[in-house]
Amino acid sequence: MSAGHPPGEQESAPDETDDVLQLPMAPRATDIALGELEIVYAFIYARVGNRADAEDLTQQVALKAIPRLREGAPASAIRGYLFATARSVLGGFWSTRLGLSEAELHEDLALAAPPAPPSEERADTVQRILAELSGNYRRVLELRFLHGYSLKEVAAEMHSTVGAVKVMQLRALRAAAKVKVE
Amino acid sequence: MNKPENRVDQIVSDLLHGRRLKLRGGDAEEKAAITAAARLVAARQGTQRMNPAFRKRLEQALESAPKEPWMTRRAALVAGFGLAAGAVTGGLLGRAMEPAATALRPSGGDPINPVPGKWVDVAAISDLVEGQGKHVTAGSVGAFLFRRGDSVTGVSSICSHLPCELWWNGGQGLLACPCHPATFTPEGRSTDKTYPLPALSTVQVRVTPAGRVEVLGTD
Repeated sequence: MSAGHPPGEQESAPDETDDVLQLPMAPRATDIALGELEIVYAFIYARVGNRADAEDLTQQVALKAIPRLREGAPASAIRGYLFATARSVLGGFWSTRLGLSEAELHEDLALAAPPAPPSEERADTVQRILAELSGNYRRVLELRFLHGYSLKEVAAEMHSTVGAVKVMQLRALRAAAKVKVE
Repeated sequence: MNKPENRVDQIVSDLLHGRRLKLRGGDAEEKAAITAAARLVAARQGTQRMNPAFRKRLEQALESAPKEPWMTRRAALVAGFGLAAGAVTGGLLGRAMEPAATALRPSGGDPINPVPGKWVDVAAISDLVEGQGKHVTAGSVGAFLFRRGDSVTGVSSICSHLPCELWWNGGQGLLACPCHPATFTPEGRSTDKTYPLPALSTVQVRVTPAGRVEVLGTD
């Protein structure tokens, strides 16, 4: 899979010369690039759920983007390129970690990009996913993910056993994966 | 522990404790549940911002980029950087480095053979303390040297995963990468048993009869 040509990038953009990031970077231009990478980081973190992996992947995106930044592409193209790269890097991450080809990953994972930048992703994503689940599934994920309960605590709260809660958690996560969040 | 519910709970537990995703090939069966768990953990924490130290590293990378206009093939070879292209990540980083590093495809632990190479005097053998790494440079080649009796070995000072300069953690007796949680033994082997990185390139070292240590580097 390749990041390829970023959406919206054109061969030339003569009317966007005021909106160009160019390297060698002045401090302000560096700040702009970092601002874009900040959004990329949030995008990646939202998909891997931990800081260490998010940092590694963001750094890979930045490394790939540096030549593009140097070329002085329009800012809008840079953002598109960064996100295309981020999806490519995420696809590689999941395929490597899960031992799957990227074709097998299909578009249900990180490869499906949201239309809006992640900073505009709604904060109530969890609630919207949970709202689509049936009672017990919603409850087990609420307790585990929102309240940080241990399995034992969840079992006590739900008058169940740890083993049963583990199975319920797995099934609830499978169900949650099918929820489409706009 | 092989039941899918146990395995997925282990992954959920790691995520809830802020740990890195440690997956195995068999986890692919539960890819949907695992990615859903990662998204739920992230969503619970809200939009994340970069850690200031990490942001600083990125800033330095961006600002230093113009001084070293991407890596030439030769520079990449000399720095051992091309190892990243063959990383155990299945070429993940290799894709990220295209097109600069696509032609490299070296294997881990290969010796650095700069062309034209030059033996560079970097230290007296008496400067090296057994059990401690010493960072030296021989032109474009950065290396850590390790003394064992009268012999000296060396490995590249560039991480085999991300192009970052390693540092010697004397307390642990390991080479550590400042860019991500990765460490290597003095022999250059990755210490991560779950996701071992390619070995560091070795550098060629010799000790002269006069007790000087020389590294095969560049002008």
